[in-house]
Amino acid sequence: MSVIEIRNLTKKFGDVLAIDNVSFEVEKGEIFGFLGPNGAGKTTTLNILVTVMKPTSGMAKVAGYDVVKYPLKVRERIGVVFQDITLDRELTGRENLWVHGKVYKMQTNELKKRIDELLKFIELEKWVDIQVKRYSGGMMRRLEIARALIHNPEILFLDEPTLGLDPQTRVHVWDYIKKLKEEHEITVFLTTHYMDEAEKLCDRVAIIDHGKIISIGKPEELTRQIGKEVVYVKVEDSFRVKEMLKSLGEMGFVEDVHQIGGTTIRFSVEDASKTIPKIFEVSQKLKVKIEEVRYHKPTLEDVFLHFTGRSLREHEAGFMDHVRIYHMRRR
Amino acid sequence: MVKTKEILVSTYVMWYRQVKRFIRARSRLVGSIAQPLFWMLFFGLGFTSALTFQGYRAFNSMNYMSFLIPGIILMAVFFTSFMAGISIIWDKEFGFLKEVLVAPTSRSILIFGRALGDSTVAVLQGFIVLAVAYLLTPNLLLKGVPILVLTVFLTALTFTCLGITLASKIKSMEGFQLLTTFIAMPTLFLSGAFFPVETMPSWMKIMAFLNPLTYGVDAARKVLTGVGFFPLALSLTVLLGATLVFTFLAAWVFEKTTIE
Repeated sequence: MSVIEIRNLTKKFGDVLAIDNVSFEVEKGEIFGFLGPNGAGKTTTLNILVTVMKPTSGMAKVAGYDVVKYPLKVRERIGVVFQDITLDRELTGRENLWVHGKVYKMQTNELKKRIDELLKFIELEKWVDIQVKRYSGGMMRRLEIARALIHNPEILFLDEPTLGLDPQTRVHVWDYIKKLKEEHEITVFLTTHYMDEAEKLCDRVAIIDHGKIISIGKPEELTRQIGKEVVYVKVEDSFRVKEMLKSLGEMGFVEDVHQIGGTTIRFSVEDASKTIPKIFEVSQKLKVKIEEVRYHKPTLEDVFLHFTGRSLREHEAGFMDHVRIYHMRRR
Repeated sequence: MVKTKEILVSTYVMWYRQVKRFIRARSRLVGSIAQPLFWMLFFGLGFTSALTFQGYRAFNSMNYMSFLIPGIILMAVFFTSFMAGISIIWDKEFGFLKEVLVAPTSRSILIFGRALGDSTVAVLQGFIVLAVAYLLTPNLLLKGVPILVLTVFLTALTFTCLGITLASKIKSMEGFQLLTTFIAMPTLFLSGAFFPVETMPSWMKIMAFLNPLTYGVDAARKVLTGVGFFPLALSLTVLLGATLVFTFLAAWVFEKTTIE
């Protein structure tokens, strides 16, 4: 059963096409990841789904309700964690949850019970009566997740949930999101530009670039599309790359040969450890000097590169993100 | 009945949030008292002696300090409330506003609760300033304090809601600068807080009459010193009218806000 349904969704800002005729569905109980570089249209899509932005055309249904026609019905059934920390820093953790619960029209007794329950879940019981400004970034995120869950939503929306967090804290936040799904059977829709986040956390991933979905499926399905192992060969002389490319292409067992950057060639093979000696044979024959060889199991990063010819990381942390991260730390 | 209760709870919770934030943020408290205090001390005492010529006093024989103090209290209230209203610009990008936009509760009610909270804060600040002012000029009349509370509260709510209305329409930080320069400063100077309305050039007088803050300052002056330009009832009526207009305007504009 799908809890999010999007049909031909388009959003324009003036002449700029932020989302370009996107369609997909999210199943009940899954963790669905929207992976793409900054400016790909992830947050715009999320904003439409959580009813704070109107689409230019197309249809989106969340929890069975059209987001444009029944925004209140949708809002009652979703929890949202925005990219920027939206906690009240002067208030304590408990007060933050209390204010939120009351805004969501919860009864006092039920709310008190729920607050205790959630604080236990996110392991912040000891911090609950301390002002949020004394919390670490990871603790704030956890509190925000708890806050988004307080009214028992069916679907939880997370916009870049681990942006600006250190690697350990990120793993910690992932654990909570996984636990949510397992213990509370909640559907999670998240956006991210971290490919490891999409890979390790999500049941299904949609890769989005320039407002279009370029590939959608389980992470292992997506990576399987581009072969078993990916090899990167860096040669010394950029003028010889073309020759090398040609020879590699003729090798039969080598697939999907591409030049990336000036002197690097990427291709996929069944078994890299057996292929690499053969590559050296070719290079010796051509008298091309190899500077570096790398290979690994394909990741979503490789999938993105495969479909767009660009790296996800090239876009990582634009100017606004630095402003954001600075702002988050300062607050 | 359920509806009424919901409205009260939503209003209360937003009010609670604003007031609690104010009480917790001590630096804000200090800042809010320090600024008016400097105005009273340096500006006030400086002009008081400049305007006192061999025993002759301007302002209907009123000491300039006594004249100024109601103005300074209202200035503090005006700035606090107007800035509190405008601060929803920040919230749009980095905070509470986003939360409220996805809540299944009436936005008008939530923003009204917030405005009430901000106004309460402004009233509290106004009275801290009054307490300090009383130490400087013990001849202030205190018997009209309940009317002063009403005056200050209506002024605060008017300008919080004006701030919210303007901020909902503004898309950038540059806009924030423009608002403070082109709205806040003229409103303050044309309010009669520093110099009397009756001696203003007539074109300026007209602008002062259109300014809600003028009535707040005048009512406060009448209550605290016994001297005022307008009848008290007129001032309060105008303030009440302005409060109603700007509250509805803020609610209406905020109800339609989207993130674009």
